Amino acid sequence: MIKRLRAFFSKFQSNGQQPTAAEAEALRIAFKDRYHHFKQLLNANNRALEVMGEIEKALRGTTPFGMQFVRSSCTRVSTDVFQIVQHIAALAPGKYGALQTSFKAIQTQINPFVYPPAAEPQGPLVMPLGSVDRASADLTGPKMANLAELARQLNLKIPHGFVVTSTGFECFMKSGDLQAEINRRTQATEIERPDHLYALSTAIQQLIIQSPLPDELSRALADAQEQMEAVAGKHVPLAVRSSAIGEDLSGASFAGQYRSILNVGREALADAFKEVVASKYGPPAMTYRLHRGIRDEEVPMCVGCLQMVDAKAGGVLYTRNPVDIRNEALIIHATWGLPKTVVDGSAATDQFIVRRSSPPVLAEQHIPHKPQRYVCYPEEGVCRLTTTGDQADSPCLTDSQVLALAEMGMRIENYYGQPQDVEWALDADDQLILLQCRPLQQTVSRAAEMPPADPRWPLCLQGGQTASSGVAAGKVFIVTKEADALQFPKGAILVTVQALPRWAMLLNRAAALITEQGSLAGHLANVAREFQIPAIFGVPEATTRLASRQAVTVDANGCKIYSGRIDELLAFRDTPRNLMAGSRVWQMLDGAAKMIIPLHLLNPDGPDFRPERCRTLHDITRFCHEKAVHEMFRFGKAHHFPERSSKQLRAQVPMQWWILNLDDGFNTEVEGQYVELENIVSIPMRALWAGISAQPWEGPPPVDSKGFMSVMFQATTNKALLPTVRTTMTNRNYFMISKNYCSLQSRLGFHFSIVEALVGERTGENYINFTFKGGGADFSRRLKRVQFIQELLEPYGFRITIKEDHLNARIEQYIMSTMIQYLKILGFLTIHTRQLDMIMANPNVLAHYRQKILADIDTMLAADTPPAAAPSAATGNV
Amino acid sequence: MESLKALFVDDETEYLQTAIKRMKKRGMNIIGVSSGPEALAILAEQKMDVVVMDMRMPGMDGIQALREVKQLYPLVEVIMLTGHASMEAAIQGMELGAFDYLMKPIDIDELIYKIQDAFQKRQLQIKKIESMEKMRR
Repeated sequence: MIKRLRAFFSKFQSNGQQPTAAEAEALRIAFKDRYHHFKQLLNANNRALEVMGEIEKALRGTTPFGMQFVRSSCTRVSTDVFQIVQHIAALAPGKYGALQTSFKAIQTQINPFVYPPAAEPQGPLVMPLGSVDRASADLTGPKMANLAELARQLNLKIPHGFVVTSTGFECFMKSGDLQAEINRRTQATEIERPDHLYALSTAIQQLIIQSPLPDELSRALADAQEQMEAVAGKHVPLAVRSSAIGEDLSGASFAGQYRSILNVGREALADAFKEVVASKYGPPAMTYRLHRGIRDEEVPMCVGCLQMVDAKAGGVLYTRNPVDIRNEALIIHATWGLPKTVVDGSAATDQFIVRRSSPPVLAEQHIPHKPQRYVCYPEEGVCRLTTTGDQADSPCLTDSQVLALAEMGMRIENYYGQPQDVEWALDADDQLILLQCRPLQQTVSRAAEMPPADPRWPLCLQGGQTASSGVAAGKVFIVTKEADALQFPKGAILVTVQALPRWAMLLNRAAALITEQGSLAGHLANVAREFQIPAIFGVPEATTRLASRQAVTVDANGCKIYSGRIDELLAFRDTPRNLMAGSRVWQMLDGAAKMIIPLHLLNPDGPDFRPERCRTLHDITRFCHEKAVHEMFRFGKAHHFPERSSKQLRAQVPMQWWILNLDDGFNTEVEGQYVELENIVSIPMRALWAGISAQPWEGPPPVDSKGFMSVMFQATTNKALLPTVRTTMTNRNYFMISKNYCSLQSRLGFHFSIVEALVGERTGENYINFTFKGGGADFSRRLKRVQFIQELLEPYGFRITIKEDHLNARIEQYIMSTMIQYLKILGFLTIHTRQLDMIMANPNVLAHYRQKILADIDTMLAADTPPAAAPSAATGNV
Repeated sequence: MESLKALFVDDETEYLQTAIKRMKKRGMNIIGVSSGPEALAILAEQKMDVVVMDMRMPGMDGIQALREVKQLYPLVEVIMLTGHASMEAAIQGMELGAFDYLMKPIDIDELIYKIQDAFQKRQLQIKKIESMEKMRR
């Protein structure tokens, strides 16, 4: 059919014959069809630019985003640009065929960033710990690999056990297409909203827990456990723990993100495995990955199944001080029984400080009252017991055990060449068992630089210990239950009783953290240091002595909390650490964005303005937009179809204004060459015209000889500036209009500007795009002029980009009345910034013009309603 | 809007029912089915202008259903909707003649506008054919 239409139209192109009524109707329909393509092209162009804006914003790294954002934004922008290519092909069949090739080439380059090739794990589903070493980390996760490596190399005692490898994990996730379902649910969720995140997390965890294990994995698990029990000659209860791949990613602690299940018997092993896997999608772990820019696929969950240790005591050893890089002492936190309370921060624990020397020396110890302990009984499982007699107040390690532990820590540190965070237990035979170790992150304390506490500062609370150094101010928010977490406001001071790992998900919103219990060895402290959130743990009665919404300043270095803001202290506040910029997810988006955002095709008259030169999706949008406008103008003229040719506006403004009615821009059929303003019903054009005609133009500014010479010199080197040279749109101003659309291309004086706007009831689609380029003066004056326009527009909320002397201003998604006001401003500027480039070197004259233009705009707008303040809100998703 | 008839195809019945309910509330003449074959059966029985099609469905997937719809009813406009963003599927679908490729979650008004735009395209195509027929006569 297209061929037939083309043959039909070419008849009018070649001989200038007037169409019959039926032919005219066909032409009208063809024009409507072209306009439909044109409008769809503009919509797609508009959306593509919006997505590019979102990508640019995301790449600033100030807000977290996941791979779902990378995938959906790249898919969105690719779809839009592909549609643009299809629409331009419909407007000019066969003319810009090379665009398809350029588009495909760009897509091929974007693909690896959006869908990075996944490494298929090669190896057994389950591996006994005895056959694991450091080189197996990609299969077993670094936690289990380190454990096995240290047992082998340093002859340290570790529990017997086996690991469900990344192959085992993938086998589970592939069964029932779990990963695809997780991705689908994640895409449909606004993960930044805590309530949505909680709902998503619950749904995914249920999905995992309810999925059956594939038979081969089920058998492999049962076999491994049977073998362990055969060697031990008895039933062996297991501790089932995470050993996710990527837990050793640079600077990422993953502390306390995942679940550990203790005392697991044979029947419960499959469920325990699934629970640990499900904890990868717990709110803390999902929030953590989101804010650290870690891809979900990058952290397959390997699971260690280790023999339970009958722990007399247990805890955590830091081979250095995590909050003071200059302090070389070793720090041991310990408690009776299992080390649960040390890592989950739920109770006070013993603390031993050991001086690094040969041999090491126990320098200090703090022994609090420990009323409870956790133990594991083969039948009952993990039980909480009350400590009896003197035990509650006695150290849980002897001096020699402390020193033996310190020596073990130093050997591990020495082996890895960096400070370590070591979890250990003391078994019933008083043997030290290594449970886990990982690199320790240290922070630099600025305490020494800070002023001494001034007695006049209103101290309201002090005590505890620095879990993460720094200073912050904000309003207190007391968190006692999960529901409080949903209400936690950004920038508040998180105050809670126990330093539970689950509060880690609030740290991206908290300014500081205060707890009544917990130690700097706990998971929450680890994450606080990682996010550089000042934290004080062990502050007595913090939740009762601080009131909700009370404004405070937290000095975590001095363990003091003051009422109100103490600016002398806050001067030492660290800039919050940007964990997103440079992260893996960020790198993926950045890589893709290099093929999406940069704009190389700036000059439509230049030799490079060709489909083959489009190197990015932005280039394609720019090229197609320019050509689409051109093709729309061509139609009426090329087909000798006056009804759809441009008309000249009869107006009092002394320039030529030509108007092409694309669809419903006139209120009547206009015969002849001229159109009256009252026949024009285009909402954006009338708004623009109101600005253009608001005040008569006073002519070019009085110019000094330098400015004049600058223009004359440029005219000798740039022929396009000479009024006698005809370019495509020379010295005429063209409007293309419909009821809701308007595009004005104007060449006023030596500059070239385009205003394009869609203004209607569909608020989400409303936009104004203003492009300004050129001028008669030299480059620096032209540049100053676009900066001058930028200064005028930015206060109104326009988003401005400047490249060379090319300015682009954009605003979108405001209601119609507001868009009309913005168009008036642009109409006014289109006329009244003419030839100002000549006076750009004179700051005083410039200031005068700036003031005058702003005052005139105010007067013009005062006659109408003021612009609304904010874009419309979404109406609800499905 | 009255003459516009739309069909929503999605195997997630809860999602489908919610979307249909909300669009009906806004005056849309729309019905829902939960698979590609059901959609083809409806199209064989009654005139539909626009189909909103989920991409990932058990049995006949969205791409296969799109291919069949466009083959049998080239003037019916199909809007693809998916919870699994895929550049490849988007381009493939557009090449097969889909009107657009949208991702969940989607603003309900945006979806309605998209259906209206697709309907406008269909009407223009029909008018174009009619006008060519007239000229031939």
